[in-house]
Amino acid sequence: MKIDFEHRQSAHCESGVTANLLHHYGIDISEAMAFGIGAGLFFGYLPFIKINKLPLTTFRCEVGGIFKRLTRWFGLQVRWQKFRNPEKAMDALDRKIEEGIPVGCRTGGYWLPYFPPAFRFHFNMHNLVVIGRENDHYIISDPVFPDLERCHRKDLMKARFAKGAMAPRGTMYYLTHVPETVPFDQSVKNGIRIVCRRMLHTPGPLIGVKGIRYLARQVKKWPEKLGQRKASLYVTQLIRMQEELGTGGGGFRFMYAAFLQEAAQRLQAPGLQDLSDKMTAAGDLWREFAVIGARNCKGRAGENDSYAAMTRILMECADREEEIYRKLLPTVR
Amino acid sequence: MDLKDRLKRMIVEELNIEDIAPDQIEDDEPLFGKKLGLDSIDAVEIVFQVEKTFGVAIRDMQEGRPALQSINSLAAYIEQRLTQ
Repeated sequence: MKIDFEHRQSAHCESGVTANLLHHYGIDISEAMAFGIGAGLFFGYLPFIKINKLPLTTFRCEVGGIFKRLTRWFGLQVRWQKFRNPEKAMDALDRKIEEGIPVGCRTGGYWLPYFPPAFRFHFNMHNLVVIGRENDHYIISDPVFPDLERCHRKDLMKARFAKGAMAPRGTMYYLTHVPETVPFDQSVKNGIRIVCRRMLHTPGPLIGVKGIRYLARQVKKWPEKLGQRKASLYVTQLIRMQEELGTGGGGFRFMYAAFLQEAAQRLQAPGLQDLSDKMTAAGDLWREFAVIGARNCKGRAGENDSYAAMTRILMECADREEEIYRKLLPTVR
Repeated sequence: MDLKDRLKRMIVEELNIEDIAPDQIEDDEPLFGKKLGLDSIDAVEIVFQVEKTFGVAIRDMQEGRPALQSINSLAAYIEQRLTQ
């Protein structure tokens, strides 16, 4: 059994799954647009939440938020399911596949055997779409891979029930109703408004541009406070969250720039193109931070690659992003 | 020096690989295998150096992943982008 489902590769799993599922039901939407409408862009430094014993830094919104917001604003109906029993979770998946319904699943990417070993580590928020089954293997549209993948039942079950922080607990979801037309332009504005408000006005020091500045102040203290080895691990984790985890690079800033570019055309708002360019520049700066961090982690830092330099770059990222959000918000009022 | 030789030298010099000379890297060997011992954190530096040296931006590490498989694939990617 294999559902006729067009697999399109994307940078980020949740926005890719969202765009591909909507595309399957006849809604033409790019990954960047899904990410933007779903208000995926975010920043949070949450040292009290540990992933692999290292503080969590997130460049994207809450898990599932992109899909939930976009489907709500578009008026789509979705069925979400979580399970305690792995066998029951796989049986429920099988039933939907038999009905010809593509099913989104949240998984621990580490346990998916088609992930290349060099890029594999424990991360429990990886989304994919199961589109078929042949004997003991499932056919998977994993949006971060170029082609359809196959995965043995026991591996998929293990991935769906990966343990640790944010364990997926067999989470699966699928669309049950899609309206004939969707309020596209208004949803674009909704998404922009949420990102700007979150990045500028979330209370507390850890979220949005305030969070970037808070992290910046912490980074330069890490070598003394934690020791070189642990400081390197903290930075490594940061870089991975920023550049690797399907972020599209620059902590999703490049993807958001692509969204703003599309939004400029869709809303006939040329000002958004300028802000898209500025967001790309902010992404470049984030990447500069990652490069200096990588050099420190790998013991090849030059005299200009200090932790203080990383702090300075992060402060500039915060300044530039604040300017973008302050200009962006009035465009959707 | 051709593009592949420049890439090999860039990788050895910028990633401080002490025990391998540029000409010891085979054109088709995996960059992220055991021999070179590179990992995804090194990929960040390679992406940065490719943009700095050749003016070819790899914005997305996912997009860059196939290009970063080997010297052959990286050279082909750069040549393709430069002729676009």
